[in-house]
Amino acid sequence: MKTAWAAVLLAPPLAMTLLFFVAPVLYLFWVSLHEPSQSELYGAALTLQNYATVLGDSFYLGIIRRTLGVAAVILALSLLIGYPVAYFVALQPPRRRMLVLLMLIFPLMVSNVVRAYGWVALLGRRGVVNTGLHSVGIIDAPLDLLYNTPAVVTGLMTILLPYMVISIANALAALDRRYEEAAQALGAGPVRTFLHVTLPLSTPGVASGTLLVLLLTLSAYVTITLLGGPRSKLLVSMIYDGVTAFQWPHAAALAFILLALALALTALILALLRPGRVQGSGR
Amino acid sequence: MNDAQADVRLAAVRKSFGSVVAVADVDLEIPRGTIFSLLGPSGCGKTTTLRLIAGFERPDAGEVYIRGQCVTPIPPYRRNFSMVFQSYALFPHLSVAENVAFGLRMRGMAREHRARAVSEALELVKLGALADRYPRQLSGGQQQRVALARAIVIKPAVLLLDEPLGALDKMLREEMQIELRNLQQRLGITAVFVTHDQEEALTLSDRVAVMRNGVIEQTGAPREMYDRPRNEFVAGFLGASNFIDGTIVARDGGTAIVETPAGRLSLLASAGIGERVRIAIRPERLRMEPAAAAGLPARIRDIVYRGPVTHFYLDSAGGPLLSYQQNAGASWSVGDEVRCAWDAESAVVLDGVQT
Amino acid sequence: MNRALVAGRALRGTATGVAFTLIVAPILIVVVAAFSPNDYFEFPPPSLSARWFVEFFRLENMRSAFALSVELALLAATVSTVLGTLGALFLARRRGTVAVLLQSLFLAPLVFPTIILGVALLLMYKTIGMPVFPGLLLAHCVVGMPYGFRTVLGSAQALDPALEEAGHSLGAGPLRTLLLLTLPLIWPGVLSGWLFAFIVSFGELNTALFLTGPGLTTLPIEIFSYLQFQGSQLVIAAASTLQIALIVILVAAIERVVGIGRIIRTR
Repeated sequence: MKTAWAAVLLAPPLAMTLLFFVAPVLYLFWVSLHEPSQSELYGAALTLQNYATVLGDSFYLGIIRRTLGVAAVILALSLLIGYPVAYFVALQPPRRRMLVLLMLIFPLMVSNVVRAYGWVALLGRRGVVNTGLHSVGIIDAPLDLLYNTPAVVTGLMTILLPYMVISIANALAALDRRYEEAAQALGAGPVRTFLHVTLPLSTPGVASGTLLVLLLTLSAYVTITLLGGPRSKLLVSMIYDGVTAFQWPHAAALAFILLALALALTALILALLRPGRVQGSGR
Repeated sequence: MNDAQADVRLAAVRKSFGSVVAVADVDLEIPRGTIFSLLGPSGCGKTTTLRLIAGFERPDAGEVYIRGQCVTPIPPYRRNFSMVFQSYALFPHLSVAENVAFGLRMRGMAREHRARAVSEALELVKLGALADRYPRQLSGGQQQRVALARAIVIKPAVLLLDEPLGALDKMLREEMQIELRNLQQRLGITAVFVTHDQEEALTLSDRVAVMRNGVIEQTGAPREMYDRPRNEFVAGFLGASNFIDGTIVARDGGTAIVETPAGRLSLLASAGIGERVRIAIRPERLRMEPAAAAGLPARIRDIVYRGPVTHFYLDSAGGPLLSYQQNAGASWSVGDEVRCAWDAESAVVLDGVQT
Repeated sequence: MNRALVAGRALRGTATGVAFTLIVAPILIVVVAAFSPNDYFEFPPPSLSARWFVEFFRLENMRSAFALSVELALLAATVSTVLGTLGALFLARRRGTVAVLLQSLFLAPLVFPTIILGVALLLMYKTIGMPVFPGLLLAHCVVGMPYGFRTVLGSAQALDPALEEAGHSLGAGPLRTLLLLTLPLIWPGVLSGWLFAFIVSFGELNTALFLTGPGLTTLPIEIFSYLQFQGSQLVIAAASTLQIALIVILVAAIERVVGIGRIIRTR
C-alpha cells in the first residue's frame, strides 16, 4: 500500500522530467556526434568533427572569447553594483525589506523581450537618450548606442542585476548579527569587520547570485540579439543560426560547447569562492 | 493470559534502523483495561515499541496483536487504536470540535451523533466551552486535553500516549496524571504510554515495563517493581538504591546466609554457595540506629534537608550508603556514628551481577 | 572610524539609486511609450492616448498571440504545479542520497540553460512528430515545475510530521489525509508556485523561440519578431504594457490571498 502510494506521487513528475528534460538533452548530445545530412535531420556516421570544426575555427573561437568577455564584465559589474545594494536591502527593517524585495522581483517577472525593448527605446537613434541629448544641444546627430557589445552588456547586466541583489541580500539578512558584534568586541573597526567577517560569511549568497547571472547570461538569446544586432553575436546566437539553417549536428555541438563552458565556469567560481566552508553555524 | 484478556500482545518483535537495534525480541502482553507504561532512558526503544503497536513502524520480525487479531501487516489507519502525540498534533485548520470529531467522521458516524459524542468527550476533559476555538488560541494544557478528547471519543481498543505530559510544567503535569488515571478507569480503555519519568510511571500505571537497549528488563506492578527490582539497572532507574555486595556462605532451603561487610545476613536467594551477590536496599528502608545498637557501622558524611524527608549520606565498610529519614524523631549531625539496619524483606538480591 | 560608516552609507545609497533607476527605467519607458498619441516615439509624450491598445486588439496576430500566451500559461502553470506538488509530497520526509539526487533533478530546470532545452526539444519533436501546441505546453511544464516543487516542498517540510500520523491514527488513509489534512495546510505554497509558473510561462522566450510555429506564436515571441523586423513599434509598447499589467493584477490578487511574505520567502 505504501509503495503504491509513493509511486503515484513520484511517477508523474519523474516521468515528465525524464521524458521531456533528460531524454531530449541526451538525444541532442547523441546527434552532436553524427555527421550532417542534407535530407535527414542528421547523417548516419559517428564523428567528433562537429566539435573539432568549432574549436579549431578562429571565427568561433573569437565568438567564444567575446562571450566569455561579456560574461566576465557582466559578472563584475553586477557584483560591484549589486553587493552594496544587497547590503542596503539587508539593513532594512523586515517589513520594508519585503517591499523592496518585491520591487526587485517584479521586474524579473516582466518578459526579457519587454525589458530589452525598453533599452532599445532608451538607446535607439530616436530613443530617449539621443533625443534628450539633442534637445539640450549636446549633440547634433544621433549617437549609435545600440547594436554593439557595450549595449548588450549594459542591458543584460541591468536585467540580471535583481538576481544578484536578491541572492546576496538573503545571505546577508540571514547572517547572525552577533558575528559582527564579536568582531567589534575584538577590536575590528567597520571596514575590517566587513572585510574579515561579513564578506566571507556572505560567500554562499555571492556564489549563488554569480552562478545564476552567469548561466542566464550565456543563454539570453533574445536580449543579445535585440541589443547586439548582427555584428555582436555571442555563442548562443550561433546555436540559433545553426538551428534555423537546419544544421542539427553543428548546432548540437555548439550547444554542448556552451554547456561545457557553463560547467567549467561554475566549477571555477565554486573553487574560487568555496561557499561550502561557510555553511553551518559556528556555535 | 489468553488473547481474550490481552488487548495488546507483541510476540518476539524485533526492529532495527540500519545497524542500530531499537527493539530486540520483545514479548509483551497488556491486559484489557489497564494502564501500561513503557519506561526507560532515551534510546531504550520504548517509543519504537509504541509505534510498532500503532503501525507507524513495521517489525523486522515478530507479530503484533490487537484484541487477538494479528495486525502486523495492517496499516495504522485500519487498526483499532488512537494516539496522543508528544506535540499533540492538533489539526491547525480545524476547530477544537472539528478536531475531536475527525476520527468519528472517518468512521462514517452521522453528523448529529458526532456532535453529541464530541460534546460528551469535551465535557469529560472539561473543555466544553472551547469547542469553537482553534488550536492556536489554546494553552498547552488545553491543547493536551483536546488531543486526549480526540483520541478517546472514538472508543479505541487501545489508547497510545507518547510522553503526553512532557511539555507541561510540574504542577500541571501532576494534575493531569491524576485526571488521566481517573479518565482511564472511568472509561475502561486499555492505555499504553511511554515516559522517561519514573515517578510518572509509578503514579499512573497498573503495570510497568522497564526497557534498556531494546530489551524489557522487567515487567510488573509498580509496587512490585519498586520493592523487588530484578537487577541493578531497574533498581537504579526506579528510584535511588543502596547496593551491598556479599558472598553466599550457607543455604537453608530457600534462604541463604550471605557474608557481607555488614555481617551475616539471611535472605531469600536462589544462588549457590560461594557465589557473589549484590543486595539492593531502598534508602527509605535503611534505618539509622544509635551507635550502641546492632547493625552495620556507618558514619554520616552529609545531610541534605529535603522538606518532608532528609537525605543522609553515609560511609560504611560496605561502601557508600544513602538513607531517607522522615523529619520526626532523632536528630543527627555530620560525623555521627550510626548503625544501619533493615527488615529482612527489604533486602533484594539482584540478578546477574558478577563482582 | 565614523568616516568609514558615512562612506559606506553613501556608497550603498548611491548604488541603490543607480541600480533601481537602471532596472526600472526601461520598463517605465515602455509603459509611457504605449500611451503615445503619435506614430513615432517621443519622450516626454505630448499627450496620452489609448490608440495603440486599440490597434493591438485590432491586429489578429497580436490578439491570437495574447490569447495563446494566456491559455498556455494557465495550462502549463496548472500541470506543472500539480506535478511539482506530487514530487514535493514524495520528497518532503525522505532523506538519503536518492532523495537528494531526485531533489536536484527536479530543481535542475531552474539552472539549466533553457535555450539548449528548446533546441533539444525541437529536435526530439521533429524526430517523433509532436504537434506544436502540446510540444510547447510540455516545454513550459518542464520549465515551470521547479517553482511549484520548491514552494510546496517548503510548505510541506514546515508541517509537524506528527499531523499525518495523527490523521492515520484516527482512521484517515493516505488519500483522505492528503485531501483533508495536508492540502489545506500547504495550499499557500501551491498557490504561490502556480503564480510563479504562470508568470514564467507567460514571459518565456527560450523554448518558445524554437517551439512556436506559423500561426501559433506566444506574445513575447510576437513582440520579438516585430522588433527584429522593425515593424510598427509602438503597438509593441502596448503589447508589452498589457503583459506587465496582467502580471501586476495577478501578483496583487495572489498577495491579497496569500500575503507578501509568502511570495517573497518562498522565492
